[in-house]
Amino acid sequence: MSDAVGIIWRRVLTGALTVVGAITLLFLLIQFVPGDLASILYGPRVTDALRASLAERMGTDQPLPVQLYLFLSHAVRGDFGTNVISGRPILDEILGVLPNTLALALSALGLSLLIGIPLGALAAVRPGSLADRILGALSVVLITTPSFVVAILLLLVFSLALDWLPVAGAGTPGDPVDQLAHLILPTTALAVGWIGYLARLVRASLLEVLAEPHVRTLRAYGVPEWRVILIYALRPALIPVIAILGMALGDLIGGALFAELIFGRPGLGTLAYNAVVSRNFAVVQATTTVIVLVYVTANIAVDILSGAIDPRFRRTAGEEAR
Amino acid sequence: MTSDFSRRHFLLTSAAAGLAPFALGLPAARAAAGGTVTLRLGDDLSNLDPAYRVGTIEGNILRAVCQQLAKFKPGSLDWEPDAAKSIKQNSDTEIEFELNPGQMFHGGYGEMTAEDVKFSFERFTKPDKTGAMVPYADDFAALDHVEVTGTYTGKLILKNPAPAIWTIGICDASGTILSKKAFEALGDKVATQAIGTGPYLFKEWKAREHVILAANPDYKGADTAPFAEMTLKPIVENRTALLALMAGEVALTEADVTAEDELAKAKANGIESLKIDGIDYTWIGINVEKGPLADLKVRQAIRLGIDVQSILDGAYGGKVGRANALLAPALLGYWAEAPVYNRDPAAAKALLAEAGQTGIALTFTCLNDAISQATAQIVQANLAEIGITVTINAIDPGAYWAMGSGDASKDLDLTLIPYTSKFDPGFQTQWFVSAQVGVWNWQRWKNAEFDSLHKEAGSTLDKAVRQEKYVRMQQLLDESASCVWITHGAHLFGYAKTLKPVMLPDGTDWQLRDFAPA
Repeated sequence: MSDAVGIIWRRVLTGALTVVGAITLLFLLIQFVPGDLASILYGPRVTDALRASLAERMGTDQPLPVQLYLFLSHAVRGDFGTNVISGRPILDEILGVLPNTLALALSALGLSLLIGIPLGALAAVRPGSLADRILGALSVVLITTPSFVVAILLLLVFSLALDWLPVAGAGTPGDPVDQLAHLILPTTALAVGWIGYLARLVRASLLEVLAEPHVRTLRAYGVPEWRVILIYALRPALIPVIAILGMALGDLIGGALFAELIFGRPGLGTLAYNAVVSRNFAVVQATTTVIVLVYVTANIAVDILSGAIDPRFRRTAGEEAR
Repeated sequence: MTSDFSRRHFLLTSAAAGLAPFALGLPAARAAAGGTVTLRLGDDLSNLDPAYRVGTIEGNILRAVCQQLAKFKPGSLDWEPDAAKSIKQNSDTEIEFELNPGQMFHGGYGEMTAEDVKFSFERFTKPDKTGAMVPYADDFAALDHVEVTGTYTGKLILKNPAPAIWTIGICDASGTILSKKAFEALGDKVATQAIGTGPYLFKEWKAREHVILAANPDYKGADTAPFAEMTLKPIVENRTALLALMAGEVALTEADVTAEDELAKAKANGIESLKIDGIDYTWIGINVEKGPLADLKVRQAIRLGIDVQSILDGAYGGKVGRANALLAPALLGYWAEAPVYNRDPAAAKALLAEAGQTGIALTFTCLNDAISQATAQIVQANLAEIGITVTINAIDPGAYWAMGSGDASKDLDLTLIPYTSKFDPGFQTQWFVSAQVGVWNWQRWKNAEFDSLHKEAGSTLDKAVRQEKYVRMQQLLDESASCVWITHGAHLFGYAKTLKPVMLPDGTDWQLRDFAPA
């Protein structure tokens, strides 16, 4: 029990250091980015006084260590400051769009698991069969097809030709059915690559488990094949899948940007992208911090989950802790 | 035990969430004309304070929600009184107005008075609380002060004669009249909350999702809101927006000009298109101070070496017209007889030989969008044929516009520059004066005659005199061979046939209050 608590604390501490490290690195990188908010917003209308005024309001006229200290000390209290363009609190802007991005990333992850795992299992139970070869080819196609191509095809088929699903937006606030309808196409476009990848991973992992002695023993005892696969083989075969869930979620949050742009969805990706383009560094810092936080939290959760499921992981982590 | 339960629960929830939508048979949303209408915005709003607005999107909304002393007539540059019962120019430096009584600000902020006009306009003439002038200060640069002579009456007292104050100040978004009381009560919230007296109320802004304008029941003007509600939906990608139009989710969108044929084909499905020639200007600026470019003959050779028609065909799909001078045909000062420089490599090579220049290597700086990069590649190929090596430097907008500070433009060679216009020619010529060298005059061309003509043309009300002066200024620019004009651009709109959109002749200023069911 004390080992488990120690492992969790160790993960949380590592996660906190990762967040601080990422923010610090971003602060340093921003210093090398040419351009300023005022010039981009107002073009030829900008004056030096206006540039200075905006820099002062954003705090970018301060020395770098002061900026970093101010940002971190405010961020831990949930205060990311005010967006100097709109005058709104940055946290409100982030919280306004974060649910859309999380819904998109999580639904894409869910869809990937829902389709990728059965596809991989199906291929693994009949290795070398026609079904395996077809599913193998399909997985490669899914992995290599650019998501934006899938997105456009989905729009053309399901929105234009069939008129089943909406094209743009995140749906009417307070109308879950409409919001769900707006989620289907971007979720599918975002999930496609991961479906293929998970199918490959599950196939390889399940084949490995099916070749292990305990499976041979179970079969020798006459345990029905469906029980062998679903109960005794698939469960350990899914351990590698769980291990990459955190990474998958991070990738899907990052990948949400293209889906948000193509499907006209408000989200964290578009908020960050617009902030980068307009050099609105306060918003860039805040959105990046939130993305890193989500990513780190997801990875800690996955680590804990892995420890709960796989005793080998628990043992290794315990030895590391000692 | 716990992990078993969690996994099953997770799988069941995922399955339910994944399958449910397919069982619902969801209908696609439709834009309904008559009562409500949904239009596409190219981006979200940024700041609704007229003095700090970021682009035309805010301006378009402000003109629907607020009133001005005078406004442009639908689709025209002629103006008519709006909030003013009467408005007239008494002398070169005095404009007198009388407001209509009973024009009530939304949100219970009371009646519009001449004090509100004074407050709204004089904000542009004084430093703000941070000590900086507001970004749109130039729109009222000629305004000295507003003299309030009664509850509804007052005078705009100008420092000098300023014809531009009508088109750039009074009739544009900078001229929207705010409630002094609301402004003081709301503070910084004016950036997100427009309080006006116009035909539409600013009902709701859900960031990055939609803006809703609703008909103002208290509006006193003749042109009451044709729609009960107008929803404006930000969709950044033009292709997505076009699909949304085809699918009936929005009733109007701007499209890439290259989509003209596609829109024409959609006519059978109830989609109409509208193309408006632009008044903006895109040109290749040549730095007249830099190395071999300081030689007039080299600049003339470059002008003759570049095939503008190929750029229009290759980068713009042949869908925009050619610019031959700074000012577009729709503007005062248009130079109809401007020379057209068709590509002539032999003549270009002869000029380079005369200049004794060989082995010239230049950098072509441009934005990193598709059109700019295609233009850069065509220029690179064109100039290679006359013996000039061009390296392309395509950069993002942040780095690109930063060249307007700290004299960064001194290092430029050739630059593709896209500028937006206003309806007064002086707004365009101001970037080419000597004082702008080191700021926005990236050609770094200085000419005393040009400078004084700019000043004179901007302070006379006589249109014929102004026309003559602006043409002369363009002749001087032409003689300098510091600019290769590309296009004034064009704006293409697709819209449902149930809608009648109204735009000003530049294509970027939408007159939302005049949009109506067809």
